[in-house]
Amino acid sequence: MGWEEKQVRGYSEFVQTAQRYHGRPIFALFCGDKDAAGRSWCPDCVTAEPVVRKELHNMPDESVFIYCLVGDRTYWKDPNNEFRKNLKLTGVPTLLKYGTPQKLVEEECFKAELVRMLFTED
Amino acid sequence: QEAAKYEKKVMVLDFVMPTPLGNSWGLGGTCVNVGCIPKKLMHQAALLGQALQDSHKYGWQFTEEVKHNWMTMTESVQNYIGSLNWGYRVSLREKNVTYENAYGEFVGPHTVKATNKRGVEKLYTAERFLIATGERPRYLGIPGDNKYCISSDDLFSLPYCPGKTLVVGASYVALECAGFLAGLGLDVTVMVRSILLRGFDQDIANKIGEYMEEHGINFIREFVPIKVEQIEEGTPGRLKVTAKSTTGNQIIEGEYNTVLLAIGRDACTRKIGLDKVGVKINEKTGKIPVNDEEQTNVPYIYAVGDILQDKLELTPVAIQAGRLLVQRLYGGATTKCDYVNVPTTVFTPLEYGACGYSEETAVEKFGEENIEVYHSHFWPLEWTVPSRDNNKCYAKIICNIQDKERVIGFHVLGPSAGEITQGFAAAMKCGLTKEQLDSTIGIHPVCAEV
Repeated sequence: MGWEEKQVRGYSEFVQTAQRYHGRPIFALFCGDKDAAGRSWCPDCVTAEPVVRKELHNMPDESVFIYCLVGDRTYWKDPNNEFRKNLKLTGVPTLLKYGTPQKLVEEECFKAELVRMLFTED
Repeated sequence: QEAAKYEKKVMVLDFVMPTPLGNSWGLGGTCVNVGCIPKKLMHQAALLGQALQDSHKYGWQFTEEVKHNWMTMTESVQNYIGSLNWGYRVSLREKNVTYENAYGEFVGPHTVKATNKRGVEKLYTAERFLIATGERPRYLGIPGDNKYCISSDDLFSLPYCPGKTLVVGASYVALECAGFLAGLGLDVTVMVRSILLRGFDQDIANKIGEYMEEHGINFIREFVPIKVEQIEEGTPGRLKVTAKSTTGNQIIEGEYNTVLLAIGRDACTRKIGLDKVGVKINEKTGKIPVNDEEQTNVPYIYAVGDILQDKLELTPVAIQAGRLLVQRLYGGATTKCDYVNVPTTVFTPLEYGACGYSEETAVEKFGEENIEVYHSHFWPLEWTVPSRDNNKCYAKIICNIQDKERVIGFHVLGPSAGEITQGFAAAMKCGLTKEQLDSTIGIHPVCAEV
């Protein structure tokens, strides 16, 4: 069956989507919002996204890849935002395997080998 | 990771043989997965239970009865361990250390075979090898032990509360586990063959035992189990344990939900092909003798950690020995690992921190007339308000009269013993004498000022 991608924006959409696919491996990439021209305010996210996308084929069958825009820069900088509070995210970009302690943060997401390791680890 | 810093091509072969009950774990070794880390967290869980009790006298009011949920605690602990396993994977990868989750064994000179969990074999050759395979819990060899008993390998991820538990053994593993299980509210019995904490200062070992007994842990002394049978299946089930006295013919029986074996650990050196490359091991104990540079009798094979003969079985010792070894091999350093005056702590309900000689060993080595022991009971200020024991905490130092009363043994029994001991260990490394200790002004009010 391969894998599928879901694009969401904001915390509640993320949680709803993750819950819908409970039981399947779920990987999520969190990035800053993109402007009308499609560029994110977060330069590291711009670097990481193509690296991650190139490794997606390594995810196990039936995986769901959730691409989640977290919000604008001001929202993200707020130390009490829902992503920080509930998902314990500390930076963007963050790539994680939902429901496990496995995640890659910021520059770690630039490394194809680490991304591949996250997708193929069991 | 240290070797990779020197641009060496490095590979790690890590594989966990599942326990008799099928349990296994991730990268990090015993300490991280089934040792120090989960132990300390569960010890903390028990201490927090005690703190809740004490809090009433300090003015905290709550009416609901406070209960402990084993699953909640275990999940949090395992989650944390998982993040450590992952962290090590990322770390190795970032430093370009090749990692294989495969069982390594020597098959010939400079060659190992790695077998993964699917049975796929690969051969690797290398210039040098470092063995750090550690140990695993020993089983009794009596009917029912493999099938019905658990060990520390299973305890920290047990998917159900162990219930009424019999802990067999008097090692620090046995006493620490018995301690926190009781602290979480479980009915705990410890079955001891002879003495407590062999190798540790016996004066203190007995005080620890007394404290545990006074706080609700049952001790059955001078008995060994001879049979374990299942009365009823379940999570937990019900087990019947038959035990025989070590001093006569008396037989006793008891019923428990869980039997935890903590009678010792055996080195994992018997099935890794050491004979194929000629590495000598102590046939009786399985341990590997090495010189003071951690080299085995085969020049390109080194060993560190719990598998070494006559060395301390402690995580930081293994780590230090490993790092220094690599610095000597590839960094031009000459420092050897110092195995003297290594501080340790036993996290029993009343914590015990020690560094240096026990009283018995000091007497044996230096002669009773050449050592002076200074000791004192103390009552932690925090214990006064909730009226906890006023004569249980204890500290003693052992001094060598012939060497300016140098402190050669430090022992403290009380809360946060580990934190207290660390500083004194550094002082002892600098050659602390009694006079210097006396002239150091104490911090008040803390336990360490004693």
